[in-house]
Parts: sequence; C-alpha cells; structure tokens
Amino acid sequence: MSTETTEEPGVVRTHLSRLSIALRGTLRRRDGRIAFVVGLIGYFLVYEVAVQNLDRSINPGTLGVSVADNPLDLVFRSTGPFQYEPIAFVQLYVVDYLFAPVTAAIGLGLAALVATNLAIAYVSWRAPKACGIDRGRSSSAGLLASLPALLSGTVCCGPVLLLIVGIQATAGLMALFQWLLPIAVLLLVGSLFWVSKGVSVDAAV
Amino acid sequence: MNISQPIDRRRALAAIGALSLAGCLGRAEEAVRTDNASGGDDSEQTDEPESEPPSDATELEIDGITKDPDGDAPVVTGEALHMAHAVDDLREAALSGGPGVDGIPAIDNPQFEPIADSNLGADKPVFGVVRDGEAKAYSQQVLVWHEIVNDEIAGDPITVTYCPLTGTAQGFDRGETTFGVSGQLINSNLLMFDRGTGTLWPQMLAQGIEGPLLGEQLSEFRLVWTTVGRWRDRYPESVIITNDTGYQRRYGDDPYGGYAPRSGYYDTDGIMFDPLVESDAAHPKSVVIGARTPTGAIAFDKERLLEERILSGTIGDERYVAVADPRLQTGYVYHDPDGTTIEPDGENYLVDGETVQPESLPLDRTIAYDAMFFAWYGYYPDTTYVN
Repeated sequence: MSTETTEEPGVVRTHLSRLSIALRGTLRRRDGRIAFVVGLIGYFLVYEVAVQNLDRSINPGTLGVSVADNPLDLVFRSTGPFQYEPIAFVQLYVVDYLFAPVTAAIGLGLAALVATNLAIAYVSWRAPKACGIDRGRSSSAGLLASLPALLSGTVCCGPVLLLIVGIQATAGLMALFQWLLPIAVLLLVGSLFWVSKGVSVDAAV
Repeated sequence: MNISQPIDRRRALAAIGALSLAGCLGRAEEAVRTDNASGGDDSEQTDEPESEPPSDATELEIDGITKDPDGDAPVVTGEALHMAHAVDDLREAALSGGPGVDGIPAIDNPQFEPIADSNLGADKPVFGVVRDGEAKAYSQQVLVWHEIVNDEIAGDPITVTYCPLTGTAQGFDRGETTFGVSGQLINSNLLMFDRGTGTLWPQMLAQGIEGPLLGEQLSEFRLVWTTVGRWRDRYPESVIITNDTGYQRRYGDDPYGGYAPRSGYYDTDGIMFDPLVESDAAHPKSVVIGARTPTGAIAFDKERLLEERILSGTIGDERYVAVADPRLQTGYVYHDPDGTTIEPDGENYLVDGETVQPESLPLDRTIAYDAMFFAWYGYYPDTTYVN
C-alpha cells in the first residue's frame, strides 16, 4: 500500500502532485469543504476525549479558566506516549477541557489527515470526476486508519482502553500502545498515497 | 470466626508450581525466596536464589534516571525486610505503565488548607499522618494524579506515596532527596526512584532493587487510610492538601473508578497487569492490612478486622495481633510474643487493666499499610493471611 516510499523521489513527487490535484478538486466543492471541516473538528474532539483531555464536567454549571503558574515549564513535558502536560483547565458548564498545546497540535495534525481522507472519500463517492479519482480507489478505507490513534490514550498507570475494556496488559501489549499513534499516521498517509495512484492528472486540472 | 491462614513456603511453592504448570506464571516459581519463617520444612530447600547477587543481565536502565552513588540518599534502616522474590525477578517483571520518568509528576511544593475549610466530601479517602502533634491529610483525589508528594512534617522531610493500582499509601523519610515516579510498574505497583542516587524502589517493598542503594530498606512511617470526615473529627486542627499543585488536572475525577462508593477498577476482580503470583484465597481487590518483618509477612483482612476488632496470627513462631480503630476505620499491627490479653473497651482497648487507644497499645507496633489482596499476595506469596 505504501510501497511508494521505496520508489524514486520523482515518483513520490508525482504522487504528491496528484494528491494535491485531488485535494484541490475536493475542496473546490462545497460538500468537499464541509466534509473536511466536519472531519477536522469531529476527529479533533474525539481525539481529545480519547486522551481524556475533554470530558464531561466534574462541576456542572461552572465556567472558569485556570492556568498553570509556570506554563512554559510544563508545555513540553511528556505525560505519556505522544501526550504532554496540560497548561490550562477550562470549565465550560457541561464539559471540562485540559488544554495541552502539544497534545492538541498532534490531535490537529491527525485530524487534518483524517479530514483529508474523509473529504476525498466523500467527493470521490459523490462525484469521482470532480477530483479525478478512480472510484475504486476511494480513501474511505483509510478512515479506519484513524482508529489506532484513538486507542493510544494513556492515563496515569495504563492505557485508557485497558481500563475500559478490562483486558490484562502484557509487556508486548504495552509496547504496542506506544506505537499506535505513529501507526495511525503511517496508515493515513499511506491511504492518501494509495488514492493518489488513481488520480487522473487530466481530469481535474 | 477468625481463620489464621499461614500461606507458608511449601504452600506457596505448591501453588506457584501448579499455576506455572498451567502456563500462568512463567518465572514466578523460581522467584520465590526461601528465607521466610512461615514454618516451612527447611529440608525441602534446594535453591537459594537470595544467596545469588543480582545479575547484570536484568539491570534496569531507565532513560531519565541517573545513578549517582554520591548523591543525596533517602533515610534507610539497618535491617532489610522480608522479600519473597529474587531481585533479578523483580527487575524482569518491571514493565512500562505508559508514562515515562516523571510523566506522572510528583508534587514538590504542596499547598495545604485547614481541613475544616475543605469542601471535599466527608466520605472521600485521605491518607493521614501525625508527627509531633502536627497532623496532615493527603487526599486520594489529588494523589491519584501524582502518586508522590515530597513534603515536610514537623520539620522533617517526608515523602507520601500512593499507588492507585495496588491501593497502597505509604510514607517514607526522604532525607535531603526527593522521590519521583519512574513510569514502570512491578506487580501493578509503583516503582519509585530517589532523585539523589537514582535507586529504584518498589513502593510496597520499600527496598532498593537497582542502583547505589540496592538492598537497602527505606525508613517508613504509618499513613492512615481513612476518610475526610473521620480524619477531621479525630484531628480537627489538621491541614489537607489542596488542588494547587502547580499542575492542571481534573481533580475530583478518578480515571480508575471510585471509593465512595467503590466502583470501577477498585471494585472489579480484573487486574490490569499480571501479578507476580496469583491466589484465589480472596477477592483480588479486597483490602488487607499488611505488615512485614525481616523474616516474613502477615496480612489481616481489613473488613474482618473492623468486624472482629482483634485478630491475631503468626509469622513463623512469632505472634502478631491486629486491632481495629473504629473511629478512623483502620487497624494497627503489633508484635505480641507473649499473647497479651486485649479486650475492646468502647472505641479503645483494655490491656492489663489499662484503657489505651488503638494506636498506642503497650506493644511494639509494626509498620502496616492497606493493600489490595492481589498485590500483597503477589509480592508476599508466603504471607500469613488472617481472614
């Protein structure tokens, strides 16, 4: 699926160019833009829930912001694999949000990849010629690639997923959890490259 | 009915052997040391793993922890407490819980308020300590996010520790150093490190298993696991730690479950990480009040102790008695070689015609702490279990 990485740089450039064509074709359409924004915001929120930075309020009805005394000392402090210290606690009546800038940036990056996959998948399903994509190469399957990152959240002494499901952890499983997010990124990028193979340069320019 | 159930070396080895045959435990059998005094037949002893020094093969190197033999050391005692597992096996059993070194940040500058001013629910768990008339309480809702508080009491530097997965709260005299969370777990239990020498200390064992202070025993003090309301009633002048920790967390939320009422991880029989040794003698999350001596370990079922008020058992030939404290809903363990007559007297006890408080019996008190049964048994499969 992602064999392109072993090919010549020129080939990679071609794929990027085709991907760019597909993305422009997608975002030129209103439904494509909506799909992208929905994917971006939706996945970002789900990711923040998954890493337990966004949760229902512990004091419902409260509005307030609390900022750490030394936020710059904390901002790059790791709290787990690809998770970093929150520097602010925001209470918004029904939800609490722990703002960890680096974790949020990672979440946004992932959300952008997911949103790209989603928008291209949607448009290629609705109007494949709009972005010159072979319908058989829809990136909808790539959306599944977004799941591993959602499972990667850890809290205190262990992965959130294990706490919820009640599975007993082994050293191997713990090691796997540390790789879930990079795996998700690779799969999402790979999915886009796979889609780019089916882009007709003439169709969408 | 009190059932004193010494799980002696022979029984422990038999149980471990059976479980190993079932493919459940792997290395646990050979990990059990045979130096306990639980009444086992010494003639059966063939291997003496404790006589072998820890090997380099299992050395625990954790990025971010620097070993420094000349660094400030925590206070250690002259006598090591009983260990049922060889150090090599403990090291091999260490695994990452997810966060790295200090990923779970210790509180180094705790803030306190009078417990009378605290708006924490009366039924919320706290870990209390009194020294030289100064009383302090550390709430579980704060410690569940930090696990370690480097603090002072009565002018003495101390460290208060809490491991949510094993339900253990223990206090240590930290000397001039501070402690941090390594991010590794053994037997689901917090593996701490001291920032002075870089020695690694499993919380429950309180013994160095790696680093310059290998084999040394930390100086411990008793933390009482009770509730805000009970501590406040007993020590109205006490202070309690606040949420002003220097970090941002959802204090009041517990990612593992709850204690009032008991729910989630604290209630189910599921365990996140394989224990060193398993037993079905009790619910894995039932609470014991456990004590160790240089020769063995003893655990009293907490619920039974609170019902019965007085329980006793032996480590080898040595008799130990546990008495309940109805006010704080806790218990204390004493060495009672002569079988002293002890009777409940209201919330206190009558000993030799004199009324004494549960924490002040005229016997040698042994450091004890609350622990989930599975965790206690995992570390001390040769424990005497009194239920």
